[in-house]
Amino acid sequence: MQYTATVSRMKAAGAPPRLSSFAQWADRHFKWLLVAPAVLLILALSIYPLLFSLVVSFINYDFQVPGHGFVGLKNFERVVFDPVARWSLLLTAWLSGVSVAIEFVLGLLVALTMVRSFPGRGVIMSILIVPLFISPVIVGQAWTLLLQRPFGPTNYILTQLLGQEVTIGWMTEAPWLYVSLIIADVWQWTPFMFVILLAGLTAIPPNLYEAAELDGVNAWQAFWAITLPHLAPMMLLALTFRLLDAIRMFDTIFIMTGGGPGTRTYTASYYLYTVGFTQFHLSQATAGSWLFLIFTALVVTLLVRRLLKAEPV
Amino acid sequence: MAAVAPVRRPKRRSIPVGRILLLGFFLLFVLWPLYWMFNTSIKPSDDYLTVPPVWFPSAPTLVHYEAALFAYRGLDGLINSLIISLSATVLSALFGTLMAYSLARYNTGGQHLSFWVLSQRFLPPIGIVLPVFLIYRGVGLYDTHIGLIIAYTVFTLPVSVWMMFAYFRGMPKSMEEAALVDGCTRWEAFWRVAVPLAAPGIVAAAVFAFIACWTEFFFALILTSRTAFTLPTVFRAFIGFQGAQYGEAAALAIVSLVPSIALGVLAQRHLVRGLTLGAVRG
Repeated sequence: MQYTATVSRMKAAGAPPRLSSFAQWADRHFKWLLVAPAVLLILALSIYPLLFSLVVSFINYDFQVPGHGFVGLKNFERVVFDPVARWSLLLTAWLSGVSVAIEFVLGLLVALTMVRSFPGRGVIMSILIVPLFISPVIVGQAWTLLLQRPFGPTNYILTQLLGQEVTIGWMTEAPWLYVSLIIADVWQWTPFMFVILLAGLTAIPPNLYEAAELDGVNAWQAFWAITLPHLAPMMLLALTFRLLDAIRMFDTIFIMTGGGPGTRTYTASYYLYTVGFTQFHLSQATAGSWLFLIFTALVVTLLVRRLLKAEPV
Repeated sequence: MAAVAPVRRPKRRSIPVGRILLLGFFLLFVLWPLYWMFNTSIKPSDDYLTVPPVWFPSAPTLVHYEAALFAYRGLDGLINSLIISLSATVLSALFGTLMAYSLARYNTGGQHLSFWVLSQRFLPPIGIVLPVFLIYRGVGLYDTHIGLIIAYTVFTLPVSVWMMFAYFRGMPKSMEEAALVDGCTRWEAFWRVAVPLAAPGIVAAAVFAFIACWTEFFFALILTSRTAFTLPTVFRAFIGFQGAQYGEAAALAIVSLVPSIALGVLAQRHLVRGLTLGAVRG
């Protein structure tokens, strides 16, 4: 045993045996004592609530209906057969897909402009990462200030640029409110893609490009043959992390549209929030959140497993 | 497409117009909402609805800041946010460092334990917060500082653990082994040798935990109400009103984003590790 080896070495070195019996016990179980606080906290506030919610989703737990009787799959049925629930899941997939795609392309382009050093690069870098440190609530608020009629200056600017009167209801009219939500998400999270992809780009050995240039390879070919394959693991990592956060989308919707008009901007998280906390059908909401959890787990196993196998660094 | 030219090419042929345009456009895109928010926060209410809009307020005022902090209880939210975020940050950094050290040096629980912690990062918060709300109401932690501190500690633990896990793995073991040979207990080897060496990493992990707590909205929205409410939840007061509170909302936003941006920019050297939970060294 490693511990006794240490003690015998200590004795051989003439060190006095100064450990109390508690200290000896603590030293022997050292590695488990270190993980204990974190593991206990996660068990208490993540695993226990999850199990508890599993129980709740099979009983009646509703502030409008008294009693906590077993109701079988009824809560799950209510969610599955709710057209708003299906709409919200669809919208979640669609909004996060489009946002992440735009963030990825834009982040990659900006990263490519920032690879080489130039005067002012440090300052620009510091500015570009700012959105990452802002609460999504504030991001939603900032875009509300810019877009909302009649206060926001966006319509005025567009009117001047296009030379004709623009009166878009950015937060109320059907296609435009999705555009607004996507813009806010793109504004906040493009720097995420940019930062990770830039780290990947700077890790590519420059002599590859020098060799390619000697061979007379043009810029476009070098991008396809060198940049893309070297960057692929990092791209997968950035996309995975971003997608898993994007499907939780809630804060900007809460501030910008409040889910409306009607239920048009309900995402999965927003739908479950309203079912649980404005309608108080808590057991229906927990059942729904378990379904969403399973949906997320599927995405995780599909993406993260692949990611771990690729072993990017 | 000029933007996709090969990187680090030694020759410079011409001025890269495409790149400058792209970067300039993106910089404008990032700065414009921030500028407009600042502009709104110091603009007198009379200037809200003018056509054309007032780009530079001629008579800047601080009335919106005063109203946001006092009439809308922004100051209470700020103090709550400070108490809760700082406490959760300290706990998260402490417990995260303890666990990460054990994972990195003793391979505790093999891969399963470390990935179990990582998986917590990807749980949708709505799945956790509903039952936590019910439990908190049962045990009297609803709308208390302690309740939100515990929730935030757990919510930032995966990031703290994984950032520190990566940090310890990148640190040579030899110093701690020497300390053990010299008769230190494992605790002493950890506390007196490894922790001081890992201090920069711990600070970086703490900064990202703090920013995560400071900007968090969803847990605070559901787990607090009139007592332990945090700064982001104060913005609920400005939803749906047409026009009147724009200045207050903007002023509160400016107050709220200064600390997290300052910390984030100071810690930007560690940003890549922070964003990828240590998976990329950056």
